[in-house]
Amino acid sequence: MVSEAIFDTINRLLSTHVLESRLINENEVYFCISSSTVKEDCINVYKNIECVLVDLFANDTTPIDNKLTVYYTFAVRSSNTLVTLYSKLENDGSVRIDSIALDVPAASLYEREIHDMYGKDFNGCPDSRELVHHGNFPLNVHPLRKDFKTNKHIPFQQRDLEFATITGKGVFEVPVGPVHAGIIEPGHFRFSVAGEPIINLEAKLYYVHRGLEKLCENQHYMKALLFSERISGDETFTNSLAFCQAIEKLNGITYIPERAAYSRVIFAELERICGHLGDISGLCVDTAYIFPSGQLGMMRRWIQLLNEQLTGSRFLRNTNKPGGLRRDFIRNNEKIILECINKLDKEFKETVSVIKNNGMFIDRVEHTGILENSIAVDLNVVGPAGRASGVKTDVRKEFPYAAYSKLKFNIPEHGNCDVNCRMNVKIEEVMESVNIIKQVLGKMPEEGPVSVDIGNLKPYSYGFGMTESPRGENIHFVMTGENNTIFRYKVRTPSFCNWPALCHAVNTNTLTDFPLINKSFNLSYAGNDL
Amino acid sequence: MFMSILKFIFQMFFLLLIAPLFTGIIRKIKSKIQHKIGASVFQPYYDLIKLLKKDLVVSSTSSWIYNVAPYVYFITSLAAVMCLPVVYQFKGFSFYTDLLVIVYLLVAGRIFMALAGLDTGSTFGGMGSSRELLVSALVEPALFLIIITVGANPEIASTSVFSIYDYAVKNSSSTFSTINILLFAAMLMVMIAESSRIPVDDPSTHLELTMVHEAMTLEYSGRHLAFIEMGTYIKQLVFMTFMANILIPVGLNMENILAGLGIYLLKLIIITFLVGFIEINTVKFRLFSLPNYAVIALIIAVLGFLTRFVLR
Repeated sequence: MVSEAIFDTINRLLSTHVLESRLINENEVYFCISSSTVKEDCINVYKNIECVLVDLFANDTTPIDNKLTVYYTFAVRSSNTLVTLYSKLENDGSVRIDSIALDVPAASLYEREIHDMYGKDFNGCPDSRELVHHGNFPLNVHPLRKDFKTNKHIPFQQRDLEFATITGKGVFEVPVGPVHAGIIEPGHFRFSVAGEPIINLEAKLYYVHRGLEKLCENQHYMKALLFSERISGDETFTNSLAFCQAIEKLNGITYIPERAAYSRVIFAELERICGHLGDISGLCVDTAYIFPSGQLGMMRRWIQLLNEQLTGSRFLRNTNKPGGLRRDFIRNNEKIILECINKLDKEFKETVSVIKNNGMFIDRVEHTGILENSIAVDLNVVGPAGRASGVKTDVRKEFPYAAYSKLKFNIPEHGNCDVNCRMNVKIEEVMESVNIIKQVLGKMPEEGPVSVDIGNLKPYSYGFGMTESPRGENIHFVMTGENNTIFRYKVRTPSFCNWPALCHAVNTNTLTDFPLINKSFNLSYAGNDL
Repeated sequence: MFMSILKFIFQMFFLLLIAPLFTGIIRKIKSKIQHKIGASVFQPYYDLIKLLKKDLVVSSTSSWIYNVAPYVYFITSLAAVMCLPVVYQFKGFSFYTDLLVIVYLLVAGRIFMALAGLDTGSTFGGMGSSRELLVSALVEPALFLIIITVGANPEIASTSVFSIYDYAVKNSSSTFSTINILLFAAMLMVMIAESSRIPVDDPSTHLELTMVHEAMTLEYSGRHLAFIEMGTYIKQLVFMTFMANILIPVGLNMENILAGLGIYLLKLIIITFLVGFIEINTVKFRLFSLPNYAVIALIIAVLGFLTRFVLR
């Protein structure tokens, strides 16, 4: 197997630095390394093996071994393998760990997050500002540590937030938010502008931080599933699917019934269609192009109504469970799905031709918000935004889950990096999703169970669940505790990866184009803030 | 004399009454196109009544300009529309009813609004003010050229509203002359820019960063906002009246004042449909593409101006 080859390669590469190594859950390789060589080893792996940093998180393992474990997860996309380097640190803060952010730019945000949530400093981190907190949390309180009690009152503090300031003649700062004029989620944007063109943008998020990861700890896994469905409203199904897959994987369930696998594909694709239609409609609203926005909004409602008809929830809540689906939602509804999809297909193609033939609209979106390929690669930009900037990655192809390995579909690839390009990727993905659903309806077995019993969870086992949400690569890490509870649940949504990319894409564009660029990424605030 | 003043006042109230209707009609057209039922065409009236009932929220850092601006804006707009011949002309004002006066009345209102936008010191107010003044400066050349072309007719040789109107009444045969069609097109573009409509501005947007006119008035609430909204509706009416009565001089000089109002209303509704149709088919321009838009309006006006002398 390919994962084994990678396992051997890294074992050889790090040689004596490896304290312990393991290949589990078919495609996950783990290497325990000493805290003193973490930086060296990570960079070694990053430089020598074609991989990207997809997750960096800590885990307070005090109840197990009185340590704080830091995990560096790299995805080897060409060979369906997740490489995790982890290091156990003394929990008292005596050991500091070296930052890898200067060599692996994507690491910077994760390191800031660990600093806020665990109080672990990284030596030489280029950006040491608070990420999650807003200067109102006491400096010595870290919510994800096991000694933090969720019911404890936290004294309010006030420190000023730091923003990168740009000075010069005629350079002004424009603060926007966190409360916006429309009904959207909160986020603060600090623009530095010279007249209309934007010189620099800094986004301060985490206004909808709900402490989701902390709330899941010590909960029964079925309760944590409900939390996973509430990470981000329009990614309900893919988030719960990632969680379920992680649970299935760590409990050694390698086979879920075919009918369940195919049903999961249908729901995942319906969610993708719904999300993309909303995004394209939003782009039209932002350019005041009302006709197609109304059309696309209408089609989005069709899909939502179909979702409701199938599962009773427009956002596909309470559909998934570890081991399969809660019920056979598709049975006797194949015809309804096919009718709806065909109707959508026809209407969507007509609307797209209207959009693409409007020169004024294309003028608005073309060459707006260019995200260069090099930045996209460095920041690990995923999903449609990444694919529009030449980062051709899709979890459905590279880490196939559910029934995707049995289906034929294309991943759109574009290289113009602008708003138009991101829109085109989404348009093509909607068409691909329609094809996928049609294929599934043809291939799906007529009868059969839709779930397997997963039994009791093995305590202190762990695994990753990966899915491709409408916004991109979605990675959930689950570690179990005793009595079917969750010990650590780490969620990394595509929004977390893509937010910094937005700040780069707006540079040199005018302030009036920011909403349009923002919409072309359409990132989730709740999905980022957790 | 008493009767003329009475008729004049009647006409003023009539204009105040119909001004919000056209915005309601445009919104209705836009909703219908999107397969939506849409709000009633009288929604702008309900909104105004609601706003008039609401309390004011005034920033403690603002000065008297902030409180005065909505009224100045409203009154200047109203004065401008009263200068124009609608159905009944009140000759008592003839000494100042010049088209250029109308333009400067509107500019005075706008200057106050721009100052008020800056006054509160909020981010968007200043941004809106600067953009609004940019738009108005860009379309001003076209507007002046239209007025000059209308006045440059040797038989009028004046920009006085009454001379122009009298001429239009006498020569209704020249209704669809090339000049009028060109000027009408240019004026339509100017009107769209001046009344903050798509493709220059999006009056229904919720995105504070893309707003032009709305950003300037973002801080206003209650009664103040009602007067600003009303001022905008009337300003729109000024341009529509100019187009309806001077550029399409059909059915003018009706002896019966009610029949005259009917025809006037009909023409305005046709123009409204035209604006609605444009709004559906266009997309908001990039801010820095607006000079192109203004230049197109100017060139159409220049063509009209040249036609005036070439085709004679």
